[in-house]
Amino acid sequence: MPDDARPAAPAPEGDWVPSVCMGCYNCCGIKIRREGGKVADVVGDPNAPNSKGHICAKGKARFLDLHDPKRLLKPLKRGNPNKGLGVDPEWREISWDEALDEISARLTKIRADDPRKLVIAHFDLPAYGISKAFGAAFGTPNLHWNRADYCGAAPHVAHLLLNGSFNGELDFEKCNFMVLWGTQLGALAETIPLHSAEMMANARARGAKTVVIDPFCSNAAAKADQWVPLRPGTDGMLALAMLNVLCNDIEGYDTPFLKAYTNASYLVQDDGHYKRDLKTNKPMVWDAKAGAAKPFDATDIGDSALDGEYLVDNTLTRPAFAVLRKHLKQYTPEEAEQVTSVPAKIIRQLTKDFVEAAQIGSTVTIDGHVLPFRPAAIHFKRGAGAHKGGSHTTLAIHLINLMVGNLDVPGGQRGVNPIGPFWQPEADDDGLLVPAQFITKYYKPYPPRDPKVPETLDLNEIFPSSLFTRGMFAWGIREPEKFGITYVPEMLLHCRTNLMMNSHNPEAMAGVLKKIGYQVSFATFIDETTEFADIVLPDSHDYERWDLFPANDPYAFIAPGPGEWYWLMRQAAVDPPGEARPWTNVYLELAKRIGLLDKLYASGNAMWNIAPKYALDPAKSYTVKDIAERQAKTLLGDDFRADSLTDTACMITRKKTVREAYPRPFFNARVPIYLEYLIDTGNKLKTVMAQLKLEWDFRPYTPLLTYFACHAHQHEAKDGFDLFIVNFKVPFITFSVTSENLWIDELSRANPYTHKVMINRATAEKKGIRDGDRVLIESAISKGEGVVKLTELIHPDCLGIPSTLGHWARAYSISKYKGTGFNNFLPAPDVDYIDTLSGQTDSCTRVRVTPFRGR
Amino acid sequence: MSKYGMVMDLDRCIGCNACVVACKVEHNTPMDIHFTKILEREIGQYPDAARQFLPVMCNHCDDAPCIDVCPTQATYARDKDGIVLIDWSKCIGCGGCVLACPYEQRYPVADNRTSFPDQNKDFKSPVVERAPSGVTAKCDFCYHRIDVGREPACVEACPTNARIFGEVRGEKLANIIGREHAWTLLPDKGAKPSVFYVG
Repeated sequence: MPDDARPAAPAPEGDWVPSVCMGCYNCCGIKIRREGGKVADVVGDPNAPNSKGHICAKGKARFLDLHDPKRLLKPLKRGNPNKGLGVDPEWREISWDEALDEISARLTKIRADDPRKLVIAHFDLPAYGISKAFGAAFGTPNLHWNRADYCGAAPHVAHLLLNGSFNGELDFEKCNFMVLWGTQLGALAETIPLHSAEMMANARARGAKTVVIDPFCSNAAAKADQWVPLRPGTDGMLALAMLNVLCNDIEGYDTPFLKAYTNASYLVQDDGHYKRDLKTNKPMVWDAKAGAAKPFDATDIGDSALDGEYLVDNTLTRPAFAVLRKHLKQYTPEEAEQVTSVPAKIIRQLTKDFVEAAQIGSTVTIDGHVLPFRPAAIHFKRGAGAHKGGSHTTLAIHLINLMVGNLDVPGGQRGVNPIGPFWQPEADDDGLLVPAQFITKYYKPYPPRDPKVPETLDLNEIFPSSLFTRGMFAWGIREPEKFGITYVPEMLLHCRTNLMMNSHNPEAMAGVLKKIGYQVSFATFIDETTEFADIVLPDSHDYERWDLFPANDPYAFIAPGPGEWYWLMRQAAVDPPGEARPWTNVYLELAKRIGLLDKLYASGNAMWNIAPKYALDPAKSYTVKDIAERQAKTLLGDDFRADSLTDTACMITRKKTVREAYPRPFFNARVPIYLEYLIDTGNKLKTVMAQLKLEWDFRPYTPLLTYFACHAHQHEAKDGFDLFIVNFKVPFITFSVTSENLWIDELSRANPYTHKVMINRATAEKKGIRDGDRVLIESAISKGEGVVKLTELIHPDCLGIPSTLGHWARAYSISKYKGTGFNNFLPAPDVDYIDTLSGQTDSCTRVRVTPFRGR
Repeated sequence: MSKYGMVMDLDRCIGCNACVVACKVEHNTPMDIHFTKILEREIGQYPDAARQFLPVMCNHCDDAPCIDVCPTQATYARDKDGIVLIDWSKCIGCGGCVLACPYEQRYPVADNRTSFPDQNKDFKSPVVERAPSGVTAKCDFCYHRIDVGREPACVEACPTNARIFGEVRGEKLANIIGREHAWTLLPDKGAKPSVFYVG
């Protein structure tokens, strides 16, 4: 046969625009191909270490959204004054001038009255800086209502406390025993996903053992050597039982690590407080060699004790480690088996395997540095943390890492860049780690803040040891008076976070949105939350906008460990269609209209990491691109030009040093195994709550990690409410966002699980439920439907509901009514359903499942 | 002839479907037609259950039943590299090859409209010719890419490097095929696939 029956077309060349993906929040480097002024393809940027030329299904499919015929092209105004689920907003088109006049007038009025009445909601990470500067200029603290807390309000706290960084990862190159706990790292569902997927695959190929702890056999569990299913929400019990086995049975801890880098040796009094030096007020340790107590930072400590009882200044004291070990004894593997359903034998074996793999005491030499080598590590995320006891649970899991001394050393668990080119953690007076300001843009869980009567609608003031409490906005707005908040919000500036689907029971959320009254939404498509808007402004796709620099903020989006420092610039590849504009530009325009632009620039100069010589001049006008260029010049040097990014938008500055790659041995700050500060913080909080006359759950304000059962676990199943719903991510779907894409929808329809609800085959048989049955799903507060997939891949006490599906927006045509919405079954935040330490909302709820057939 | 082939490393495949969308975009296929797919199955019983992913596509067989069965000789193997292609100017869409392919990797195109707006009036992308209505279509190994030294779209996208493309007897593939005891799908069909599996 001839070779030329179908001649090769030339490979596309020329018109490529390097930029940054926003198919999820991870900011992978991409290259966008244009043809005839339109986007025709996108690939991974081979120069970007976070994509290496690869791209995921979401990222690839995303450019189809540019061409979606239902894109919003003109501003809309609501015609129907009524708002609610299923209510037609009766949109009519208006001009940008009309829209901006109306919005500016509202903003001016509110600002004169009480600027706190403005709430800003979005989940759009590289643009946080714009709205943050706007909020500061305007005078509202009510910023960034979104569900960043949904996965990480508790897990991020554990990373901040023990790594000094926002996120975590594993040493993919050297770790031999990798445990994924309630997460799918390496399965395109977590942080730096293309990087971690490749590195995890490499790790498996070199023989690293992987264990996945999850009620559902996820994509990540499919690749694991061992899948450990457990009853959802009981992760804390499992972790504490493992800690018990580790500390008390096999004594598999790294003693030098505990002494040097933790507060394990700090002496604790019977009242739970540290024994402090009378002169310096420093926590004391017992020097076993000298037979005397000394401040923890004394230079002449021979050997600090981890065990025993010591009389110091006539006070009986014990090292924190001894107190913890004793406390852990209540968590026997047998007790844990009852609660978690994981057999005691497996709990013991897993702990033993983990400790053995950690090779405590071993070292490795890297570039002349002799470093600890601990090739066993646990990574954890939402599955473990999104529960009533989320902070204690994730800290207990992380303490297993700590005990074997694997934190931020070769082979072990690592935080995402606690040390960087111009940031590093510090130690406070008690010697404990305080993360660098540059990578912790939110509140720090430590040192704790003084609690007070809230002024902010996210109620962060009554979560004094939290990172962010964004899930609490819904509660603060619903019942401000309950928390002593003296104003009622009147205006919401909303974009890029679908609160109606990503939070809880939609009826309850509808009430919250209605209560705010006036809502402005920026949207490419009119989603469920935008349906509550009074004015909708057509937003750009992220291929149509510039963003602040770097798009991949190093607090989470530069791969930790050895490698390079890389910084990505999002640049616009095409112009927005119709009258659409990037929402960030509109914020700048609104600031100008209401006379705040100079203030916004001043706030920005202070928070955008702009060198003084590039500071914005209040007398001038700047675009987001101008600002980004100034940020980039500050970081990369005077020669940087935004317009020069034609081959790659990823700037690599240099290789990491050993200190940056394996930071733990290179800084002195200690990390806590005993959270002494929570005693005082809890007492102060009690005073505030007494003032507010509020019932509150103070139990997590205890120094010793404890299992707190979710509300759903506190009573026996009755009236047929006998299944726990459990949620998991699908590798080709991001939140509620990417399902409204034809190419993604094809994958969802072809996949055996995505549009279904999963029931264990044996459980279903007992209930008379068959494969393919349409079922009624009822929780205590909500109802929904689903189509059953019988499976062996799920815990028998569970109903598995994937991703965030089941759209109902009027404008949606592709994903409408497909799949089931997990969050719809969750209750609105309430003291019974939140972790009162971190503000994490609880994902555990019981449901009753009944087939429609035969009813 | 330098015969091209692919190795699918099942230990590396995480079932993410990046390859499926990459292929979709590259070939601009009509709705629900995918020249490569990820099949999934469950094995075992809870709690000793497991989940497996299997990427599938045209095997570009040495003894391709689709070639033998084609009444118009529209399906052929390229002389230079054995890639099995369809000459749509000759294909009458009879569906014989669809039945003959033991791997179910041939797709009748009843209606060739695609998800792209304007049906490619504005885009030359993908750079390959879009299958016309009334023919059969399938994976073409991205011949348009490999002819100019690029890898197939699915290979380029794959985040875990689970797909390895090259000459079957070339160093890269031959080593893996030999060392890892590679296997092919349905060997008893005698089609001699050029797509190998390891893991």
